[in-house]
Amino acid sequence: MSLYQVQKLIYHVNRDVERREHYRQDAAAFAKKYDLTEQESSAILNIDVRALYTMGVHSLLLRPFTLLNKVSNEDYAKALKGLV
Amino acid sequence: MPIVFACAASHAPGMTAWTEAAPKEQAEKFLGSYRQLGERLAASKPDAIVALTVEHWANFFLNSMPTFCIGRAEYYDGPIEEWLRIPKARVTGDATLSAELIDACLDSGFDPLFSDELLFDHATFLPLHFLNPNMALPVVPVIINALTPPMPSAKRCFAFGEFLGKVLQQSEKRIALIATGGLSHWPGEAQHGRINIPFDKKFLDNLITRDHQQLTAYSHDEINSEAGSGGHEIRTWIALAGAVQKWKAELVAYEPVAPWATGCGLVAFNP
Repeated sequence: MSLYQVQKLIYHVNRDVERREHYRQDAAAFAKKYDLTEQESSAILNIDVRALYTMGVHSLLLRPFTLLNKVSNEDYAKALKGLV
Repeated sequence: MPIVFACAASHAPGMTAWTEAAPKEQAEKFLGSYRQLGERLAASKPDAIVALTVEHWANFFLNSMPTFCIGRAEYYDGPIEEWLRIPKARVTGDATLSAELIDACLDSGFDPLFSDELLFDHATFLPLHFLNPNMALPVVPVIINALTPPMPSAKRCFAFGEFLGKVLQQSEKRIALIATGGLSHWPGEAQHGRINIPFDKKFLDNLITRDHQQLTAYSHDEINSEAGSGGHEIRTWIALAGAVQKWKAELVAYEPVAPWATGCGLVAFNP
């Protein structure tokens, strides 16, 4: 488990314009710079909202990150449906 | 000169970013009250605003997360959110007042982080947009961690506010003290959109009846389950209640605005 690293990656993409550009150019290469498990890396690269949320990514990191990746309000809510 | 004005206000980004999503009458009523509060602030002729505020990953991350942070910058830029529909501006600081507050804290058993460079997100910028039009007054931000656990207890926030209040009452400057955040909301969470009106009303009632015992008894878990992750921001209101303990709280507005997904409150405190 490296939730810290997952959140660090998301924080960097959200808040650092230069890093965001690297992420946009090659997300897989960008993700390799962080100490992620295969599962975490796949959740990031697939923008798997439900997986990222349930692993504990802070909602105010996750929502801006998913907005940058064009996840609509409807799709975001759908992904979290049934969770508390 | 002492504290000359005090108020607490919510800062839901929808207030400016998607104003028109709310029922027109409800939005106008709430935002009109917000502006009137700004007029009352100006009428008190303060020299500076001290903002008990929070932030949303604007400056700090989990590698270094302060429980309390006092800004000591010459200026603060914001808002960081491009979509907030509030023009970007540079807000003047008051580094002298900041230094006085920090020194007083360190002399008296509070050890806040201090920072000479902070960005403002909507938590600070949105209230200033209504309460400090044209960013005319200098601002000193006092950030309380209401973002990610572990957070300071309600009791500690009240005590911190109580201490800051005593220091500010002895300041040579006229101070407007504002608190920003809350009330119940679940931003970006599975329960996004929920507003817990009974919780909000109980909390507002605690302020109005000056029930300091109850205000300091709110636990992290209770706030989390009843008011959502955004509800933790009531810590700034609790700190303000500690700062102006003898002042009467006046409910200026409360609107549970569904499209803004937040129980929106405005409370003025009168000496």
